[in-house]
Amino acid sequence: MSASEATASRLAAGPKWFLPFSQLILLLSLLMLGGVLASIGASTFTLTLADLWQAVLNKIIDAGMIGAVVVEALSLDDQVDAKTLASQLISTIRLPRVMVAAVAGAALAMAGALMQGITRNPLASPALFGINAGAACLLVMAQSGLIPLLAELPLIVVTAIGAGAAGALVLMLGGGLAGRIHPVRVVLAGVAVTALLIALTRTLLILDEQSQSVLDWLSGSLTDIGWAEWHQLWPWVLVAGLLSLLLAQRINLLALGEEMASGLGISPVKLRLQVSCLVIILSAATVAITGPVAFVGLLVPHLARKFTGADHRVLLPVCALMGATLMVWADYLSRLLVFPSETPVGLVTALVGAPCFLWLASREGKR
Amino acid sequence: MYPRLTLTLLPVFLLVLAISGVLLGSLDLQTALSTGPDILTDLRLSRVLVAILAGAGLGLAGAMIQGVVRNPLASPDIIGVTGGSGLAATALLLLFPGVAFGWMIPAAIVGALLTMALMLWLVRNQDLNPARLVLVGVALSAWLGALIDWLLVSHPYQVNAALVWLTGSLWGRGWDHVAVLLPWLLVLFPLALMMALRLDLLALGDEAAEGLGANVLQTRKLALLLSVALAAVSVAVCGAISFVGLISPHLARLLVGGSHHRLIPATAMIGAVLVLLADILARTLAPPIELPAGVLTSLIGAPYFLFLLTRYRGW
Repeated sequence: MSASEATASRLAAGPKWFLPFSQLILLLSLLMLGGVLASIGASTFTLTLADLWQAVLNKIIDAGMIGAVVVEALSLDDQVDAKTLASQLISTIRLPRVMVAAVAGAALAMAGALMQGITRNPLASPALFGINAGAACLLVMAQSGLIPLLAELPLIVVTAIGAGAAGALVLMLGGGLAGRIHPVRVVLAGVAVTALLIALTRTLLILDEQSQSVLDWLSGSLTDIGWAEWHQLWPWVLVAGLLSLLLAQRINLLALGEEMASGLGISPVKLRLQVSCLVIILSAATVAITGPVAFVGLLVPHLARKFTGADHRVLLPVCALMGATLMVWADYLSRLLVFPSETPVGLVTALVGAPCFLWLASREGKR
Repeated sequence: MYPRLTLTLLPVFLLVLAISGVLLGSLDLQTALSTGPDILTDLRLSRVLVAILAGAGLGLAGAMIQGVVRNPLASPDIIGVTGGSGLAATALLLLFPGVAFGWMIPAAIVGALLTMALMLWLVRNQDLNPARLVLVGVALSAWLGALIDWLLVSHPYQVNAALVWLTGSLWGRGWDHVAVLLPWLLVLFPLALMMALRLDLLALGDEAAEGLGANVLQTRKLALLLSVALAAVSVAVCGAISFVGLISPHLARLLVGGSHHRLIPATAMIGAVLVLLADILARTLAPPIELPAGVLTSLIGAPYFLFLLTRYRGW
């Protein structure tokens, strides 16, 4: 049995840790809510602490934005009491940040699930297939003004071009859209393309001498997220998410095998193209805002499949919820890990995600 | 295709490149000379020497690994060894800032060995399928890379020293580094040459090699150990210069064929040429700014890896 067939049969094998759907959703929602509250609440709590006041008054402003915002609030009105300050903080900084984290996580997780669905490759994900790196590279290219045309386009279009080009390149090198794609081969192609794109991005950054701020962003960061970013992000994710739900049943049929799917009236190539477009929109929108966050798109679908089985109509929404939960918690952790300064959230997901990837890869090897 | 000729021409080429490496730079020769001989000997010559030594080490490491796992895609950076030594050295730099530079190399070697052990443990149940090995290595590198980044983020005050070192650059390398690097490589190079015959036997396949009297398992372990040490030594001095370990053995194989007693010296020289070339380009392309040499090697190396991937038929 070839690797892809083995994968397909595993995909079809059904749930392993079955939970009633309603309970699963409830559990996830609770987790998510907890994450959101922790994320928002932690900052409020910290802000009311006397030592932070002390720190601010002493003008020891650590790189964190908490300091900067408090100073801003103070300069507006010297007599702001802690409560209004906290509520201001929540409404201008914490809330959009948590919401962006959730939506970005949902988008990446759905993109991963869609990719794994159409390639029947358990290792497929936006980060491994070079899509995130492509989007990031083109974004930096646009911002450095190297290609004037790019600088005039909206951000999302730029990242979508990058994501699409990189993804197409990886798929091409890995064996093409229609043909049999060897799972490992695509991943290796993705790794090499990613290395190439990262090298390019670094060169651009160094030549442009604005590396410091973008370096954080390059590993995926939620710093400096406000309502503007939120408004750029959610429409795309909402539309692409709904469209992907419409395609879910067809993706299920594709999992039965190419012949079976075309026998049931689905053109595999066309479906793959459509889904690829959705994947590109989802990851391009996310990368444009948060930078390339690794491993969410890879892990969440596997985790979700354990609970729901391989039916994409259920899998996709659960993935979205799980991805959102994971990302919110990762963001929360990223602020706690090295306290006064922030760890880029992509680092947290990579630290957690890479061992899981190893586990997946070695399991894949045993078959 | 003329192995002997190539083997004699390569050192000449390397020499020419080294001389031009000394002569080229952001200051032209006249100014550099009039400022005093320091720029040429203290800065450029030592740097050229470090590039040659480190490049040779990386190239050799790649050749040994590819010889052991008989895998055209293997190289120290792809299977995670570079990441391991990078992590160990970063930890040393950041957690114990006062430690002398000489300790970097042992630390890097220990880190690399631990990574190798972890790697072998992770693939213990598998039939060392080449692509699979690389896959696990990639994941391991990703994880180690994240750990390195995390160390960097959590120690913002010493980050500059570590960043300069990490990007795979030869910036600021001088005679101190030559002095640290040279003794290690003087021991490791001859050992690598002595392994050549045994690696040739391995290339015949495990059974044939056993039949001819080679201890396959022992040879593999020795060669892996050597390769890890070579890579770690080079990484400890000039950071993660990626893809050199992957490309140079392939180029060498094209030029002098597959037998290791030619392949090994040729690989060392080609590795040296690559790193030297990358470094010269890195500091002369956009003069006041220096690109990390590692970025240049991956700009060349990644496409080559992709090319190899499309040619590889062992799936």
